[in-house]
Amino acid sequence: MEILKAENLVKVYQDNGVPVNALRGINLSVSKGEYIVIAGPSGSGKTTLLNLLGALDKPTEGKIYFEGEDITLKEKKELSKMRLHKLGFIFQAYNLIPVLTAIENIEFSMMLLGIPDNVRKEKALALMDELGIKELADKRPNEMSGGQQQRVAVARAIVNNPTLVLADEPTANLDSVTAGHLLDLMEQMNTEKNITFIFSSHDKNVIDRAKRLIILKDGTIEKK
Amino acid sequence: MLFKLAWRNIWRNKRRSLIVLISVMVGLIAIVFEDGLSNGMMRQMLFNQISLDISHVQIHKAGFNNNKIVKNYIPDYKHVESILNSTPDVEAYSKRVFAAGILSSASNSSGVILYGIIPAEEARVSVIKSSIVEGNYLGSDKRGIIIGKKLAEKLGVGVGDKIVAMANTLKGDIGSDAFRIVGIFQTSSSEFDKMAVYVNAGTEQEMLGIGDNYHEFAIITKDYNNITSIKKNLEAKLGSKYEVFTYRDMLPMLIYQMDLYKESMMILNIIIGLALIFGIVNTMLMSVFERLREFGVLMAIGMKNSRLYLMILFEAFILGVIGTIAGLICGLLLDIPLAHSGINLSIFSASLESFGVGAVIYPVLSLGNIFNAVLLIPFVAVIGALYPAYKAIKLEPVYAINYV
Repeated sequence: MEILKAENLVKVYQDNGVPVNALRGINLSVSKGEYIVIAGPSGSGKTTLLNLLGALDKPTEGKIYFEGEDITLKEKKELSKMRLHKLGFIFQAYNLIPVLTAIENIEFSMMLLGIPDNVRKEKALALMDELGIKELADKRPNEMSGGQQQRVAVARAIVNNPTLVLADEPTANLDSVTAGHLLDLMEQMNTEKNITFIFSSHDKNVIDRAKRLIILKDGTIEKK
Repeated sequence: MLFKLAWRNIWRNKRRSLIVLISVMVGLIAIVFEDGLSNGMMRQMLFNQISLDISHVQIHKAGFNNNKIVKNYIPDYKHVESILNSTPDVEAYSKRVFAAGILSSASNSSGVILYGIIPAEEARVSVIKSSIVEGNYLGSDKRGIIIGKKLAEKLGVGVGDKIVAMANTLKGDIGSDAFRIVGIFQTSSSEFDKMAVYVNAGTEQEMLGIGDNYHEFAIITKDYNNITSIKKNLEAKLGSKYEVFTYRDMLPMLIYQMDLYKESMMILNIIIGLALIFGIVNTMLMSVFERLREFGVLMAIGMKNSRLYLMILFEAFILGVIGTIAGLICGLLLDIPLAHSGINLSIFSASLESFGVGAVIYPVLSLGNIFNAVLLIPFVAVIGALYPAYKAIKLEPVYAINYV
């Protein structure tokens, strides 16, 4: 079942008044349960494409349909609601909220959904247990290693059962062993929970595990 | 959790938050202290005037206040006395004979207000008896006189010296009498001490030729807050032959000054508030720009702009509330002991005395002004955070996440 479709996506940035074509007409369709890696050299447009697909940015031209709705026409408020209910994000720099503990970081998006305190605590603990990070519950990000923080970030991304998780170079700051464990975890989530993942990466470990590989070069898809 | 997040965000940069808190505290301490001092000074000026000669209410013959001449004595003082005796609001009263005259010693002379009093009655409505610094209060000696210290210095006289008082009589000629100084008083008002002298009422009545009549009733009420209704009640009972004035009628400049003070306090609060707003805007802007990346993440995971906006305002509000509580406690800890011991401003005693204020000021806290300040500061803190919060929510998530 198709959940995401991009039609002729173009993104032009202004760099000190000089237009930079980051994406030049991307067409893409993503089905439920896919495990996609967008690879390519630096500057090929991977992060830009991920930002557009995750409704964090708007394309200069083209359309993006998420579950049949054109998200390029949506207001900020609607996009925010969509991200909360349907999407999960994993960032290269983990980006946990530094003043919250691991469990509070995971609970945070549930709090935004209005889930009661006791329910979200229970759910967060169960997920942490499943991901093997229960002992990190009361630790703050600065008390955790990079791998641990990224696991917490994965938990935060999937706790609301999103339709799609977008992971922007999630292993870039991790050593190969930790990166391997993290990828195992996400593959497991993809297989067991049928969560759709789209990665951007130029890490061979990530690319090798892709069930579908999209290679970008100079803002266009070189190989699907 | 939003509260938890806001609370922890405040303390992630302790030094910066403490600087804001201290500035809020200092602002509030300044408001509480300034309010207490000014309020205390105003009240002292008012109470000093009341307790010197004004009292809470005065009764005269109608028209006396505009034309204070000897013949304008109270038509039937016994009638007034019987009404006052049957009015429960009246605590005490003193009958006074009033004349503007001249007091002369061997070396000098000075214009004075000659009060003829019944010493025991006057002691219940004014502070003259307790203000005697040399000699004694007025007794039964018909030729006794008490004068202010400033006047004594000007006339070059002391206790036991003889002086002559002169004033217009009822017939229009000049009456005079010789007195011996039995006491010298010093009040909080140097102007009063230069002008007022006291003799026995009978002696002055005789000198002025007004029989056993009086010009004035000075009244102390049980509750001066009800002064308006007491005045109306007395006016109704006394009728149109008499005029009833409250201290508010007799001290219009002072009342105006007190009203002006209340407004100036509001202006001062606004100035302090504005200074705080700039401090808070600066701090919150720094705090917001330090956390742009985090805000981007919060937006990415679905936090609505309105919630993010509220969170930033909440942080400022918490800072305002903590600063207010701490400032209020410090302000009260400073002011309450001073309200009992007073603040000794004797280095300014000359100027304070000319304003009718003693050298020791007892701060009086006005609950209304403190309440306004307590409400104002957290509100000001929120105003100070409006712009930084607006800046935060205007960001695009993708820009914020990638902000370095």
